[in-house]
Amino acid sequence: MKVFVIDVDLCVGCYACQFVCKDEHVGNDWSPIAKPQPDTGQFWMRLDEYIRGTVPKVEMHYIANPCYHCDEPPCLTACPVEGCIYKREDGLVIIDTEMCTGCKNCVDACPYKAIYFNDDLNLAQKCTGCAHLLDGGEWTVPRCVDACPTEAIKFGEEADFAEEIARAEVMKPELGCKPRVYYLNIPKKFIAGTVYDPVEKEIIEGAVCTLTGPDGATCTVTTDGFGDFWFRGLADNTTYSLTIAADGFAPKTFEGITTEKDVNLGDIPLER
Amino acid sequence: MAEVKRKKVDVSIDKTTIKNLAMGGLLGGGGECFVDVKDGKVVRIRPFKYDWKYDWESLRPWKIERNGQVLTPLRKALPAPFSLAYKKRTFSPNRIKYPLKRVDWDPNGAPGSVGPGGRNTQNRGKSKFVRISWDEATTIVANEIRRIHKEYGPLAILAQGDGHGENKTIHTPHGHQARLLDMMGGFTQQVRNPDSWEGWYWGAKHVWGQGFQGMMSPAANLIKDISEHSTLVLKWGCDEETTPWGFTGMYASRISQFWTRAGIKQVYICPDLNYAAAVHADKWIPVLPNTDAALQLAIIYVWLKEDTWDKEYVATHAVGMDKVAAYVLGEEDGIPKTPEWASKKCGVPEWTIKALARQFAKNTTSIIHYFGGSAFRGPYSHEPGRLECILLGMQGLGKPGVHQCQMTYFGMPRAEGLGSVRFFNPELPERLTKPCWTTVHAWGPQLIPKTLIQDAILKPPLVFHGSGGQESQTEEQFTRYTYPIPEEEGGTRIHMIWTDTPCRITCWNHGNRTIEAFRDPSIETIVAQHPWLENECLYADIILPANTTLEVEDIVTTVRQGPHFASVSIQEQAIQPIGESKSDYEIVCAVADKLGLLDKFTDGLSTRDLQKIVFDAMKMDKLTTWEEFYEKKTYVYKTAVDWEQDPPGLRKFYEDPKNNPLKTPSGLLEFYSERLAQHFPCDNERPPYPKWIEKGETHDESLSSERAAMFPLLLMSNHPRWRTHAQGDDISWARETPTGKVLGFDGYRYEPIWIHPSDAEPRGIKDGDIVKVFNERGIVLVGARVWERIRPGVVYVDHGARHDPIIPGKVDRGGAINTIAPNGITSKNCVGQATSGYLVDVQKVTNEEWETWRRDYPEAFARDYDPGAGLRFDAWIEER
Repeated sequence: MKVFVIDVDLCVGCYACQFVCKDEHVGNDWSPIAKPQPDTGQFWMRLDEYIRGTVPKVEMHYIANPCYHCDEPPCLTACPVEGCIYKREDGLVIIDTEMCTGCKNCVDACPYKAIYFNDDLNLAQKCTGCAHLLDGGEWTVPRCVDACPTEAIKFGEEADFAEEIARAEVMKPELGCKPRVYYLNIPKKFIAGTVYDPVEKEIIEGAVCTLTGPDGATCTVTTDGFGDFWFRGLADNTTYSLTIAADGFAPKTFEGITTEKDVNLGDIPLER
Repeated sequence: MAEVKRKKVDVSIDKTTIKNLAMGGLLGGGGECFVDVKDGKVVRIRPFKYDWKYDWESLRPWKIERNGQVLTPLRKALPAPFSLAYKKRTFSPNRIKYPLKRVDWDPNGAPGSVGPGGRNTQNRGKSKFVRISWDEATTIVANEIRRIHKEYGPLAILAQGDGHGENKTIHTPHGHQARLLDMMGGFTQQVRNPDSWEGWYWGAKHVWGQGFQGMMSPAANLIKDISEHSTLVLKWGCDEETTPWGFTGMYASRISQFWTRAGIKQVYICPDLNYAAAVHADKWIPVLPNTDAALQLAIIYVWLKEDTWDKEYVATHAVGMDKVAAYVLGEEDGIPKTPEWASKKCGVPEWTIKALARQFAKNTTSIIHYFGGSAFRGPYSHEPGRLECILLGMQGLGKPGVHQCQMTYFGMPRAEGLGSVRFFNPELPERLTKPCWTTVHAWGPQLIPKTLIQDAILKPPLVFHGSGGQESQTEEQFTRYTYPIPEEEGGTRIHMIWTDTPCRITCWNHGNRTIEAFRDPSIETIVAQHPWLENECLYADIILPANTTLEVEDIVTTVRQGPHFASVSIQEQAIQPIGESKSDYEIVCAVADKLGLLDKFTDGLSTRDLQKIVFDAMKMDKLTTWEEFYEKKTYVYKTAVDWEQDPPGLRKFYEDPKNNPLKTPSGLLEFYSERLAQHFPCDNERPPYPKWIEKGETHDESLSSERAAMFPLLLMSNHPRWRTHAQGDDISWARETPTGKVLGFDGYRYEPIWIHPSDAEPRGIKDGDIVKVFNERGIVLVGARVWERIRPGVVYVDHGARHDPIIPGKVDRGGAINTIAPNGITSKNCVGQATSGYLVDVQKVTNEEWETWRRDYPEAFARDYDPGAGLRFDAWIEER
């Protein structure tokens, strides 16, 4: 059974995956696995962008979204035509282009927005894992994997990825769809800032920054050679307090920092 | 569930051809791809595999290690996404299908004639085109050449081997017409300036000598040495997730990730959170555009005050430190270049400047680029260019881990049997390279720097120093040129232009003035050859349709270092030419035929002959046989067994400067250039040693300018993410990405402008709004991306979007930002371009403006437009 393993930390956001998916499918007919993908506006492999923080503490990550080829695919159960949407022995979920009646039930049923509707062809369409190529015998991975320059997207036998899967997450696990696309290193929220001495106009290196969560648990970092501190991997929508202490300076405390978004506290002066 | 019987899909293909689909042009380049073809149709384009025909281990894959982390090459090439999308280029709706003539240009009309039967140069960019035959087109071109030669002499024809282009050797663009015109008595040459690295060409050359076109050279083994020794790399205006794409591909991404894993800190100094900073930065220092010199001076100030520089090295390896120190400390002009002083100029907090200075000195630090971001392409860019050399010199340039590195352009492990890694492959014979001389050498009898074409047409005569030829020697910057040259030497103003791959309007300085010049009655004839109907093609009189690399048989070398293995490949024709198009070479052959010069022009050599000439010239017979190579279609170079022995960068100079001198008059790093002092004693824009030049007679583009009251934002322009300069603006798959284009309310996809929320909010601008960016030089319509990827006070538009005139020379809808870039050259004695870091304002387009434009210029809004790819060829064709 095949899986995708996508390491978000390795993705540089080049869109090669999204482009080559179109290269494979726009203008090419691989019926009954897939009919042509519209040139624009539909993304069987979709890259989403996330910009986090404010100037100058800004980071980005990108998440590549193929069809998740769920083991409990809601699209399959929503489809009124028996055998139209089917799960192959290798785990890939396919919409048979010749059996689809264009009812759109699957489009609405997919919680991951992975299924697109092609009005011109009256057809529901999505990522096939390039099943047509895998079946051809010469290909062992889909186009997106072949083109990824950083090997952020991997594809292969589930057993071969046991180590990665053990530390991976899937999207919306609570829905019970059992996706076969596993993600590594999706960033959590951060709280960051720069600590400086407003009198000397110098950064303060080694300031001790202590972050206290709602449960009273604390985490401590010290500022680096740019006076910067970063707390990463924080939970969403959680309220923290932060205390910054440095020798010779009055400590400073920020209450009620909420990680609804990533937080840049900016350049923080410490008074003597 | 009943078992459904399903048909098996036929995925067989007829053939796979190799094509290098990066867009750097000039006889070689990366982006190696396989093109799968079936039934004469391109099925797919995918990364080339180095082990396709060769055993992987036989290629001797190299290894670089640091802190337990390993960097190795991949078995596959790493072409950029736009290379993989090349179908969209070859089959673009903007492809020129057949030869064209402008409807109201009559070659029998007198110079300057207006009206029926006239040349109507004033209508260029307005009037449409009609289809003509190749026979008619080439006859007109041949006749015009003869007429111009007779009336004014051969130098009245300007040959433009313009811009950037596809990787081809035999069929390459960039100047076959110059070779033909050269056979007929000469031509006026447009000399292309180093448009992506002006700061080093005009600046660094005077500190560390010629280098490679001004960039640090020798540059062997830089990636290895930096990986093994550096603890900090400063990516100064560097975006390795953008600029390498069109030249060497995407291996740089892997190096940056390796450096992160190995614990090498990466600090990005740039106004924008560029694509690399967004994913690789340990620290982003958003500096105001074109103020890097102030930041650099303040770093020197901190080092001088804190005594954290390598005095011994400077004493033995450099001259002029005393003068630099006196200036920095304020002994010369009374202004110490303190962090406090610099902070006001460059917008970086004083404490961050001090921290940067200390981290730079404390760590083993290299400065990394892949050509210039905003830092080295603005007004007076030679100052940051030179100051960078001084900063590195003060920290022992050449010692382990202290280098300037153009990441993956240079510095990769050496290949066995590959003579040169220069992008302009010098091993190839003149028969093949001469066309491309037009782009890299100053070889025409009468020269015009590309940055001065518009002034040459509109206000001759010109006097300038240095041609700006990319391969010209440093000394050539002191040569005084005139345009025209004296009449007795054949000098004349130009009256005809023959351009290929034109993109001056959108990639060079003050495109709107280019438009004015191209409409000048003194230019009687403009011939353009190009695959796509864009930019200057709109201002041409005759258009000759060129084809793309997928349509020709060629041979291409990846002698540039970026691909992790170099290769040479026979590039078979993948598909038949689109429409009536011919290759750039074949086009000039067709004109040569009309002039009776075909045999002389071709030397009677076939494509196969020319492929064999390349094989022989590169001494590939020592590596393989012609028969084996032709059968395999590729030769992949093995890593040299002794590659690790190559001294990294300037190591030999570092160890023994006396016996390994730089190509400077003193043989040392010239922090102060006596030579500049002698040749340009009165040049206060590029004085003998680098200074902070806030304004001067050439430019007034700083926030302190009076102009900033009207134009309070600084515009920066990097190399485009989704294009290689002007190439690739029609790729629908790129245009629909968030940074590709902004879909306007009118269905038009506008070039994005990045603007910070704090600048957008008071202007009432929301993400997705169509706005105008403007200054005295014109208006460009763009789509707002309001976000935190740009610092306050700065807006960012990539150059190279296709020009789409609403009012030619005044208002552009296509997003061609360089239409409003300064006309002024880098500085008064440097004919470079200054196209990043200049004053503009941004405002919403009012309903009244829309209504006025739509009323007064209805044709501009009526052009057929492809919702995905944008501008269409047929929008400019008149059916007859």
